[in-house]
Amino acid sequence: MSHEGTLPVSKQNMTIFGGVKSQGRLNRKKTAVMAFGVLFMAGCARDAPQDTWQPKGENASNINTLQWIVFPLAGVVGVAVFALIGFVLWRYRDKGQAIPHQSHGNPAVEITLTIIPALILSVVGVFTFRGIFQLAQTNDTQMVINVTGQQWWWEYDYPAQVVNGVEISQPIITAGQLVIPTDTKVLLRETSRDVIHSYWIPALNGKKDAVPGRINLLRLQAYKPGIYAGQCTEFCGLSHANMRMEAVALEPADFATWVANQQRNAQQPAQASLAQEGEGVFLNQCIRCHQVNGLKKADGTAAIAAPDENVYSGAAPNLTHLMSRNTFAGAAFDLVTSDCRKNIWTASPEQFGAAYLEGVSPKCLNQTNLRRWLRNAPEMKPMYADPTKLASSDGKYRGMPNLNLSESDIDKLVAYLSTLK
Amino acid sequence: MAIIERPTPTAAITLRAPVTPAQSMGIVRRPVTSTGWKSWVFTVDHKKIGIMYGVFAMFFFIVGGVEALLIRLQLATPDGKVLSADLYNQMFTMHATTMIFLFAMPMAAAFANYFLPLQLGARDVAFPRLNALGLWLLVAGGLILNASWFLGGAADGGWFMYSPNSGPVFSPSNGVDFWTLGVQIAGFGSLIGSINLIVTILNMRAPGMTLMKMPVFCWMILVVQFLLVFSLPVITVALVLLTFQRSFGATFFDVAQGADPLLWQHLFWIFGHPEVYVLILPAFGIITEVLPTFSRKPLFGYPFVVFSGASIGLVGFGVWSHHMFATGLGPISVAAFSIATMAIAIPTGVKIFNWTLTMWGGKIWYSTAMKFSIGLIVLFTIGGLSGVTHAVAPSDTQQTDTYYIVAHFHYVLFGGMVFGLFSGFYYWWPKVFGKMLNEKLGGWNFWLMVIGMNMTFGPMHILGLQGQPRRMYVWTEARAGEGLFNFGFWNKIASLGSLILTIGILFFLINIVYTARKGKIAPLDPWDARTLEWITTSPPKEHNFDRIPVVHHLDDFFHRKYQEDATTGELVQIATGEQLVRAEEANADAHIHLPSPSYWPIAIAVGVGTLGFGVVYGVPIMIVGVLMILGSSFGFVLEPSVAQDIDYDPPASGGQDTKELAPLG
Repeated sequence: MSHEGTLPVSKQNMTIFGGVKSQGRLNRKKTAVMAFGVLFMAGCARDAPQDTWQPKGENASNINTLQWIVFPLAGVVGVAVFALIGFVLWRYRDKGQAIPHQSHGNPAVEITLTIIPALILSVVGVFTFRGIFQLAQTNDTQMVINVTGQQWWWEYDYPAQVVNGVEISQPIITAGQLVIPTDTKVLLRETSRDVIHSYWIPALNGKKDAVPGRINLLRLQAYKPGIYAGQCTEFCGLSHANMRMEAVALEPADFATWVANQQRNAQQPAQASLAQEGEGVFLNQCIRCHQVNGLKKADGTAAIAAPDENVYSGAAPNLTHLMSRNTFAGAAFDLVTSDCRKNIWTASPEQFGAAYLEGVSPKCLNQTNLRRWLRNAPEMKPMYADPTKLASSDGKYRGMPNLNLSESDIDKLVAYLSTLK
Repeated sequence: MAIIERPTPTAAITLRAPVTPAQSMGIVRRPVTSTGWKSWVFTVDHKKIGIMYGVFAMFFFIVGGVEALLIRLQLATPDGKVLSADLYNQMFTMHATTMIFLFAMPMAAAFANYFLPLQLGARDVAFPRLNALGLWLLVAGGLILNASWFLGGAADGGWFMYSPNSGPVFSPSNGVDFWTLGVQIAGFGSLIGSINLIVTILNMRAPGMTLMKMPVFCWMILVVQFLLVFSLPVITVALVLLTFQRSFGATFFDVAQGADPLLWQHLFWIFGHPEVYVLILPAFGIITEVLPTFSRKPLFGYPFVVFSGASIGLVGFGVWSHHMFATGLGPISVAAFSIATMAIAIPTGVKIFNWTLTMWGGKIWYSTAMKFSIGLIVLFTIGGLSGVTHAVAPSDTQQTDTYYIVAHFHYVLFGGMVFGLFSGFYYWWPKVFGKMLNEKLGGWNFWLMVIGMNMTFGPMHILGLQGQPRRMYVWTEARAGEGLFNFGFWNKIASLGSLILTIGILFFLINIVYTARKGKIAPLDPWDARTLEWITTSPPKEHNFDRIPVVHHLDDFFHRKYQEDATTGELVQIATGEQLVRAEEANADAHIHLPSPSYWPIAIAVGVGTLGFGVVYGVPIMIVGVLMILGSSFGFVLEPSVAQDIDYDPPASGGQDTKELAPLG
């Protein structure tokens, strides 16, 4: 029959053969299925950023070990069953033979055929059991980040702590891109401000839901510097498809640089610059929801955002270091041009840190995306922003409304936002 | 081995003389019409009700299919523009809801209604009016669900309708209200139907038919009805809580009031997982009738198949949390549900082996019905094996909510359930409509469905493992991967496959029309079948059997046709099916009593539907609905037990032959 080609096994790929210590003793099994895997190599995309078979951290490697047990096993069982069915269909077709003896079965065969799958499954069960408890372990983590989901972006809140000798003296609040040091076990404490979301960076670990009213723990670790893609995987309403995230792993030294930068307040733009006019527009409009640390009102007092008055989830991304992230709006859109993006994503592990820490330089800024967003955000990403339809949320938006900014205001804002390094 | 013996033989059936008044509440007589639309709308005949279930389900199969095609059209390219985000979310919610509640369950009900009494050797179900009520409640639920499309948009929270996203704040349109009410009402209909069928199976089997001589189809339907009786109340509770939250300001799932949104998930999946077996077991039942017939051999290991079905049903209640491995249950719960989920693969494996060994040593006739049954075995095995890969909970945390899961359950439900139902169509069409579906068109139907189904859902395994999540109205190049075989390639193949699948299903619709107009009149026993439904005419007379059969064997009909030669041990045909049917006609029972039609089942359903709209549109309409329900319930209770003496007397004893159901077309 024509179905074998669709077996789950078709997703084997060979990048797994390098680099992962914990898998040494499975090598023989891997070699055995390799020939089989080669047949299906055609099925693999190169470098699909969310591929579930290319672990880049310990948790994902542990999961991958289990996948390498159960997928080939399922494949082998499948092939055996289909071979049996195929044989029966060919051997016992109607060739004009007499009506067969009306036998009703054979208990010995029945019992054997019940015990065999039970034994196979017990083996899988033992490994599964071990894997579950291995992955649930969170008492060895070296760093804590609070991760909060809301429609339709992720907020990361780094409590004050010392990580590998790097001191985070002030809490860091950022969005979209999770920045972690390499070879460090990071504990994510997940929750949500509205509906259920799910945090998933396939290269680093499986999913864990962010449930309002609960805190769920997820341990992440990345072996090497790089950028690892993810996506919200619990249906969370209108723009679920546009709720993405990226984990960025930096060498400890680079991570220290990143932390130092994140702890700085925003600098005031130069006098009489376009950016300074942009600051005025920001204070007029954006500050209602978006915080910029260190921003002062005209009277010199601190400008404090009050997203809880305007947005149902009560939060909006902190923009103090917007240009240190290269995506925006729930990591759904690039803040860098496609060339610059490519440079960052394809940088070698050695060069990645420098490329990422350069941030969004004026040359790299994706003006098209940013301007389109400022012109009419809900047109770019579906959100609940029609003021006439907000009765159910007490008039509060879910997402960002269209601010009806003039083109000159947009010019000024872009100039100001570019200064938020 | 008699577990429950049928209580009394045929004597009770000749009971007559109405003891209740001739008019309901002194006003309304029972209807007597046996032709025209009234003969359908007011009928209590299990066969007509079965056909109506089938027509209803087929209509919604097409509706759900169109929804699926729109989804595939949207996803064929990155950043699809066919549907808006809002409309896409409604589309996948309603595709699942329609396929599960308005196609799969009603189609299984169609088979159960039509064939249970015939396979059991009974003249109708235990509670014929309740049977009609179940149908009309389902119709009311289906109308309410789909009315939402025209009244401000359909539900958009997914068929799982997770809280708090389904609450009044996050889903402000009326779509979710229509959804909760529609599913409640349809579920109410299923619950009534399931009680009816349990009573029918336990009490109305032909004399001599012990439970262990009962066809496996009846067994699987029995297991399914118990699943429904125990799982539907759970979802009903959840839906009532949600309705009260949305319409009357309750706070059952409001996190700000201290609720735990996971309560909904537990309630939903305690229903939702047994529901999976509600969908698949009737198809298992159908192919367990088809495989022995076309292998010309009894089922291999009948008790193993029966008890594995029952244990699938039982264990099916203990695995619901495997839908929640990513919700943070803690390692102990995850481990327990992981192991339970693996355990359920064992009885499922038993079934696959038994079907294969039924064909072993047989004389296989590759009719279209048989092809679809073999298709089920193969495709369901693929779905079952991918199921084992996510019984491994850590592996599931990578796969859950990706297209890998979509691939898995479409292999189980499309490759399994739908192929089983199609096998049933081809096997029993001659019994229901008296004409043979065309086998050549059937071949096209089958092969295009096999190719289309594998092209559509096969690549989804790869897409899921490459990391494409479900329920996203667009996918983006940024996550698609490099090279030829990336998201773009496999999504295009899947969309192309869905078109081939559609053409395959169109061949079935063409086959129906062709058969109605030009189809061959069916012989009485076209497949040399084994069970009691073939010991009567095709289509069966209104009273099913001229004489209630007395059962001595499993596959009694086959044993009446064939006997082993005492010396050689070879099977020798001693009678044809035709001869057996004619013999029954010649010895027909006198005074065969049948239940009269009734106005009240549909009247109650109209009232329930009105009440449903009232919950959305205001108390005055609710009051009207409640009054209608009350009035028609009194009518239901107080109506005369029979309209008039319409007992059937066979021509031999001087009576008038009742009209047979006309063949379609």
